[in-house]
Amino acid sequence: MIEWLLDGTLAALLLILAIAVIRASGLYASVVLFIAFGLLLALTWARLGAPDLALAEAAIGAGLTGVLLLGALAHARPERPSNTLYGYRWPAALVSMALAALLIRAVWPLAETTQPLPAQVMTELEASGVSHPVTAVLLNFRAWDTLLELLVVLFAFLGLRQLRLAPLAHTEPWPLLAAWGRLLAPLALVIGGYLLWRGTSAPGGAFQGGALLAAGLVVLRLNGVLPALSWRQWPVRLGVLLGVTVFLAVAALTHAFGAGWLTYPVAWNTPLIVAIEVAATLSIALTLALLVVGEPEEVHP
Amino acid sequence: MTLALMSLLLPLASALVLLVLRARSPVLMILATLGSLIAAAGALYQVVDGGEQLLALGGWEPPLGIRFRLTPLSGLLLVFTALIHLLVAFYAAASRHSQTRHTDYWPLSGLLHASLVALWLSNDLFNWYVTLELLGLVAVALVTLAGPKAYRAAMRYLILSLVASLFYLLGVALLYGRYGVLDVALLASLTEADATTHTALLLMTLGLMLKAALWPLHLWLPPAHAGAPTAVSALLSALVVKGPLFILWLIWSEIAPPALARDMGFIMALAGVAALLSGGWSAMRTPYIKTLVAYSTVAQLGYALMALGLLLYWELPELHVALWLFVLSHGLAKVSMFLAAGEMQATLGSKRISALTGATQTMPVAMFAFAVAGGSLIGLPPSGGFLAKWLLLQPLFAEPANWFWAFAVLLGTLASAVYVFRVVALAFDRAKPTRPDFDPHVLAQWLALIPALLVWGMALVSQPLILWLTGVTH
Repeated sequence: MIEWLLDGTLAALLLILAIAVIRASGLYASVVLFIAFGLLLALTWARLGAPDLALAEAAIGAGLTGVLLLGALAHARPERPSNTLYGYRWPAALVSMALAALLIRAVWPLAETTQPLPAQVMTELEASGVSHPVTAVLLNFRAWDTLLELLVVLFAFLGLRQLRLAPLAHTEPWPLLAAWGRLLAPLALVIGGYLLWRGTSAPGGAFQGGALLAAGLVVLRLNGVLPALSWRQWPVRLGVLLGVTVFLAVAALTHAFGAGWLTYPVAWNTPLIVAIEVAATLSIALTLALLVVGEPEEVHP
Repeated sequence: MTLALMSLLLPLASALVLLVLRARSPVLMILATLGSLIAAAGALYQVVDGGEQLLALGGWEPPLGIRFRLTPLSGLLLVFTALIHLLVAFYAAASRHSQTRHTDYWPLSGLLHASLVALWLSNDLFNWYVTLELLGLVAVALVTLAGPKAYRAAMRYLILSLVASLFYLLGVALLYGRYGVLDVALLASLTEADATTHTALLLMTLGLMLKAALWPLHLWLPPAHAGAPTAVSALLSALVVKGPLFILWLIWSEIAPPALARDMGFIMALAGVAALLSGGWSAMRTPYIKTLVAYSTVAQLGYALMALGLLLYWELPELHVALWLFVLSHGLAKVSMFLAAGEMQATLGSKRISALTGATQTMPVAMFAFAVAGGSLIGLPPSGGFLAKWLLLQPLFAEPANWFWAFAVLLGTLASAVYVFRVVALAFDRAKPTRPDFDPHVLAQWLALIPALLVWGMALVSQPLILWLTGVTH
């Protein structure tokens, strides 16, 4: 009964928040509500028994996306009230409901199917070099997907770079932020590192750890503790590209000298995976931090 | 398979090197593309000689892992991608107007090349999702190189591309939930005609059609392709929209239950006809040069969609050849057309078609390239476009019941003739030619002409090409 109450409340709150995000009076309110929505979604994933997703959602979906949205809001011109989309409301609602009906019809029969793949993952787990099934899938069984996902992060950053945004005017950090920042940032670094380390045996890993590290970097930068981060500095460029480079080098070397593209030698399983994860975490953290507080480059003629 | 992987790794690694060094020199990228082309040709030779190759990445066979599949067709697409990239790279390095000097064009084009190769090699529904994501992001980044005036089109492209990705992903999730596998070959033996499968395939089709700019989901394409820097427009029209088309072709010809494929084929063929007519109509009416070329891409994709639809509807294997010949000949012709159009637009100093008055006198080589490429788009012999259209028309003429489709192709041809000759006729009006703002650049014009000559050359080897493609596609 209690569980049912919790799940029901979660589901209802998610729906209410989703509607509130769309209906909020200003973009700022929408963004704040969206962050709350992300946190609740993380809780929902945890309730559904997917702690990996919950962590990722909390760190990336709620935390980082929220910061990025707030940053975008700061870049945007002040919004004007507009009613241009008002007329599309009912047609949009109708289309959504039709789509929802279609989806429910498609998803319903899936409740009775059982997935053979998780069992197969568990039987091969021994050979993967890590003891957490999600990490095994991400960094061994389907490592190629993860390599490309790292490229997705890189591409997103490169795309944003082309826009040559003007820098945001940073105000003097207010005392509370300065005081808490000094406490929060090391904590974020430690927890980020811990999440990365834990990733081999329990929920955690490069994306979640990287997002937390990025949060630490952003807080430190806003406090003025960290010097400006810019693509002009070669260590920054190297750091951003490190994850992809290490991963690709492993792939190419295993293909040239080993058993095949991304086939880790048995004895090197764990160290290789940890090395890739560390490099990926650093790159993700740096890329995400650059997205939020990166200084623009000199403007070309 | 090693050579195919080399073809992937070379442009990717060079792009990373360029990024680390913050270098803007074309030399490394051109060398890498050349290397990639040679590797791709080697891979094609091997696969034609020794048959299809499979590579289980990480040593894990599907359903646990991802499997690369190098078929003769994907080998051909590797060569095609590297060749187009090389031709465009020569132009981009030589032309004064290619907007590549002060931008990240070179690393981004290498990343685009690698993303495409990853897509052609993959055979896994989820891995395709990631490659589609890569393709969309890098394409949008390339469009933004044109500067703030292209931002609106790029933003719309980005949002629609993300929406399309989500539709596709939803479909993949449903298929995975239903069958527990993502590998196309495995899935092909499992699919049944039930509600989940139908919904999944429809969602994926919607997403892929949006990404490939197939009618009626094409409206984002003209502003994005016309607003991008010229070299980028060529890459986007020749290659990027073909990626989703490749996936669409594979899921419908391999995974889909036959009854559904037949119904869907009919709808696709009708959408293809609509694309021919609406794209042709808009190209006839637009006042801008590059927008005309971009609408012509919408119309030409209509032929490909029609070939795909009819091959599903009638289960005619010959049409596979027609489909891929369309893709190859359109790719080459469109590169030439976009490069020539962009070069003329920049030299003559106006985006308007009216600026091309007398261009046969001021920029004869570029205009010749435009006309030759246009001839292939219309389907005039001798050209690759003619071959593709001929193959498409043969089954249409065979039975009177199919004459509706033949009539549609005829109308589409008429429309493309109108929009090509609209430009060519103006260019021969030498009484008062538009005075160029700059000295016409001869080398850049010749580089724009090469792809058009290649598409002409396809006609010289037509019979072996068709026979070979027939063997390749099935």
